[in-house]
Amino acid sequence: MSSSSVLEEIRRAEEFLVVGKGVWRIDALDKVTGRARFTSDFVLKDALHVRLVKSPIPHGRIIEIDAERALGLGPVRVFTAADIPGENQVGYALPDQPLLPADKVRYVGEPVALVAAPDEDLAEKAAELVEVRYEELPAVFDPLEAMERSDVLVHEDRGTNIAEMTRVRKGNVERGFEESDVVVENTYRTGHQEHAPLETEGAVAIPDTQGGVTVIASIQYPHLCQRITARVLGLPHSMVRVIQPYVGGGFGGKDDMGPVVSAMAALVAFKTGKPAVLVYSRRDSFTSTCKRDPSVVRYKTGATRDGRLKAIEVQIILDSGAYANRGPYVLWRATMHAGGPYEVPNAKVDGFLVYTNKVFEGSFRGFGNPQVQFAAESQLDELAERLGMDPLEIRLKNLLRPGSRTITDQLLESSVGIYEAVKLLGEKTGFRAKWREYRRERAGRVRRGIGIACGYHGISTSRGVPDWSNATVILGRDGSVTVETGICEIGQGSWTAHAQIAAEVLGVPVERVKVVGGTSDAPDTGATHASRGSSIGGIGVYVAAKRLRERLAEAAARLLECDPSDVEIREGRAFRRDSPDDYVEWEELVQAAYSMGYEMSATGYFFLPKGKFDMERGLGYAYPAFSYIANVAEVEVDLETGKVRVVRVWPALAAGRILNPVLVEGQIEGAIAQGMGYALTEELKFEDGRMLNPNFTDYLIPTSLDVPEVEAPIYVEDLYEYGPFGAKGVGEMALIPTPAAIMNAVKNATGVRITEIPATPEKVYFHLKEAGVVAGE
Amino acid sequence: MNRFNTHIIPVEFEYHEPRTIREALELLARWGEDAKILAGGTDLLVQMKMRRVEPKCVINIKRIPELDYIREGPAGVRIGAATRLRRLERSGAIKRLFPALHRAIGWMASVQVRNMATIGGNLCNASPAADTAPPLMVYGARVKLASVSGERTLPLEDFFTGPGQTAMRPGEMLTEIWIPRQPEGTGSAFIKVARTAMDLAKVNVAVALTLKGWSAFNVRIALGSVAPTPMRAREAEAALEGRPPTEGLLRRVGDIASEEIRPITDVRSTAEYRREVTKVIVADALRKALGMVRVGGGVG
Repeated sequence: MSSSSVLEEIRRAEEFLVVGKGVWRIDALDKVTGRARFTSDFVLKDALHVRLVKSPIPHGRIIEIDAERALGLGPVRVFTAADIPGENQVGYALPDQPLLPADKVRYVGEPVALVAAPDEDLAEKAAELVEVRYEELPAVFDPLEAMERSDVLVHEDRGTNIAEMTRVRKGNVERGFEESDVVVENTYRTGHQEHAPLETEGAVAIPDTQGGVTVIASIQYPHLCQRITARVLGLPHSMVRVIQPYVGGGFGGKDDMGPVVSAMAALVAFKTGKPAVLVYSRRDSFTSTCKRDPSVVRYKTGATRDGRLKAIEVQIILDSGAYANRGPYVLWRATMHAGGPYEVPNAKVDGFLVYTNKVFEGSFRGFGNPQVQFAAESQLDELAERLGMDPLEIRLKNLLRPGSRTITDQLLESSVGIYEAVKLLGEKTGFRAKWREYRRERAGRVRRGIGIACGYHGISTSRGVPDWSNATVILGRDGSVTVETGICEIGQGSWTAHAQIAAEVLGVPVERVKVVGGTSDAPDTGATHASRGSSIGGIGVYVAAKRLRERLAEAAARLLECDPSDVEIREGRAFRRDSPDDYVEWEELVQAAYSMGYEMSATGYFFLPKGKFDMERGLGYAYPAFSYIANVAEVEVDLETGKVRVVRVWPALAAGRILNPVLVEGQIEGAIAQGMGYALTEELKFEDGRMLNPNFTDYLIPTSLDVPEVEAPIYVEDLYEYGPFGAKGVGEMALIPTPAAIMNAVKNATGVRITEIPATPEKVYFHLKEAGVVAGE
Repeated sequence: MNRFNTHIIPVEFEYHEPRTIREALELLARWGEDAKILAGGTDLLVQMKMRRVEPKCVINIKRIPELDYIREGPAGVRIGAATRLRRLERSGAIKRLFPALHRAIGWMASVQVRNMATIGGNLCNASPAADTAPPLMVYGARVKLASVSGERTLPLEDFFTGPGQTAMRPGEMLTEIWIPRQPEGTGSAFIKVARTAMDLAKVNVAVALTLKGWSAFNVRIALGSVAPTPMRAREAEAALEGRPPTEGLLRRVGDIASEEIRPITDVRSTAEYRREVTKVIVADALRKALGMVRVGGGVG
């Protein structure tokens, strides 16, 4: 496929029949009628139920695991590290994480053994009776402290608690600050965030007749689950099949946890020859799965009098918890996005990923980016204040445009729609007038404020890491269409988008397309993460469907006695462009093509072209494309209780072609709700590494009654040359600037800058009090 | 659905569904402290799942018709202990006569939960944060306790003895809540400070007062989540009693209430914040109650 010809074609197309329309989700009826089946609906009658035995201490050596009392209860089996036939390693970025630890535990809640029994009650009781003797070790919980210490090491063999360091060195920051008229410096802190999917993590493993195992699990990347499970069991990859049923929400967490629960259930099935089911309780889901990395970000920004950014100097410290997991990649993403979607000529960024004795961190919608954008976007408002500018003005002065370079010095030739998006957003919201009015008023007990924040997010994997798309499209003899992909449906609607792409390219109604996804039986399409499911994942569908379309056009040309280039296929009919009444029905055409000897299945592999990245200086090609977002939030702050109520949010998105506006709106609204929870209420509390609120009673996600009015999004369709129909990623976008937009609005309302989230009422109350802001002033 | 796929309750117990109060009391007499009454299940079942309680016998009283009623009489309203919160929320009498209670119930959990949970269950669970307790206390509600050997009533204030602890004796069951009609010119209000729309209270407060001329009488202020049990703020009440409720005085009353409470720091809130916010919401609730009397009724 030549890229320029594809883009050409997309640009030429004036209208689409399926793409860009609010097509019904293909899973809608299953889900609203309750027919949809999730992992725990696949429990076989003779299945063994698996429970975790978890560490009660944050750090300690395992002296002995005594299962005698547990085994005495009846038909109980207990599995520890010693039972693992293959490699006891599930680390993602670094080989530091055992499936079950053999020597020591590193956080409270770490699974040390698996207990299996024919019924849940017995498994539960037996798990309580497994006695593990530990030699407790001193533990470290604060990342800033952990960085400095070498006497307490979470991983002794590494010699330090710093798991990874990253850097960007662009231009000359010393000179940049010298040339600046104003310099603003602050430290920002963000907390943990739990994914809180409706369905907890889980896997059902069934031994097959050939010595392998089939895993049905709640996951985001079947082929990764396959690889890790095969590694743990010591099997070739081909002996492990992984299938995703419907998944009740992922948000990144199941990308990391899918392989772990798959391997655990598979271990039990493999060792016992019986089906095994492991479904995490809500408590397990809190205590023993990855979270969003807490961060400390020290941020210094310099600008000239006219508001041009000159330099940034940023230090990012991410608390990785007990294992690195995705942390190095999260940190790289945070590092490369540290400047925000702005032109910054001089940048110095240093990132540190630090081990502590708390639950490990990992993938979560935004992947390191919300932490740094919170800092970057708060900084920009502070800078504007010092310069006597308004927040909109300073952004419009510095936003990236086609031809700009990012802080990694990557040239953005095209598909950069953020400037236009922010301009439109400013007009639609009447931002300037409101911002000035609220700032002037600042009277009474309940104060209103408005804030804006932007974000950008690289689509696909970071730096030069290879990325590709792949899918198979198969036409049945009856004309039905099957799309096979490794992309998972986790509620975001990617399969519907895939069906739309196939239907549009082939010229059939979308109802004819079935998507078989999320299985290791399909081609490896990479993970459903990094906002790549519909965008990168969809390329393979586009390419494969295109191939079939060409073959069908040839077959149709023979039936219609014309040149293939004169054939039009749309809405299930093929006809000559100059005489639409002379047509062939779709079924007829497919059957004829079969008879004529055309292959009616095609794969669509596409390897994304990427440039070079210099890891030493952190410069070069970071991502094939960026999606852009801006949110305006309006809030009310009750000075006497510290409660922040988000009244309304206006989003603007530049993510290329909007394949399905209804799905995109769903993603935006969900991301804003999740971002609001992150900013205001969601807080994990720990005492000596023990989580104090592993439940929804005291870990508060916003309810439908808390979510603000989200206005219809502004879309700037800044087409991306390799995306299907020019689409870029959407899923993560609207979360990224939400915390900063809210805190900038709080500043507008009260004059007080909050640099730490979640900004719970208590925190806001005492901050306001400290700043002397009281009602009636 | 197969029954193996969810882990419900990890304890074995005997289960009974009596149809009359008599039957229920006999079961209670037989099982004593080994029995737990299921009046809604929204607290009990969660506690059983988490093994905080492991009763040998569960007595479901939701199938007893004589425990499910709202009866308006000349002196007040009688409510059966197993009356669901949702029913109370939709009752015209509750809304009209006891707006603070109505407001508190409408603010609890979600519609789904209110369709299961009962008023008796909320009281007997005896959480310091129970949202129905402060309004019932300011209205001077009494509770009826029954056992095989007879009945007794006591003021709701004397019912709570500690977190999860009540004055009920083994074999006793709460059967009825009685709320007296409030005098003409009474205003009442309920306010809760919570983290999200569906959260337990960090602090909740109910107030009631009767306005005669320019002065407030019969002032009652009750707070939840600020002491081991829901409590009356008597010094704060006394400060306002018989005096004109000026803005300055209302703020002082809030300050006094804040001194009276005995909050703790827990995962939900710090003691310090509870004290600060108590000042604010006590004054807020009093203003709201006064506003109601002044416009002659309305919703609290």
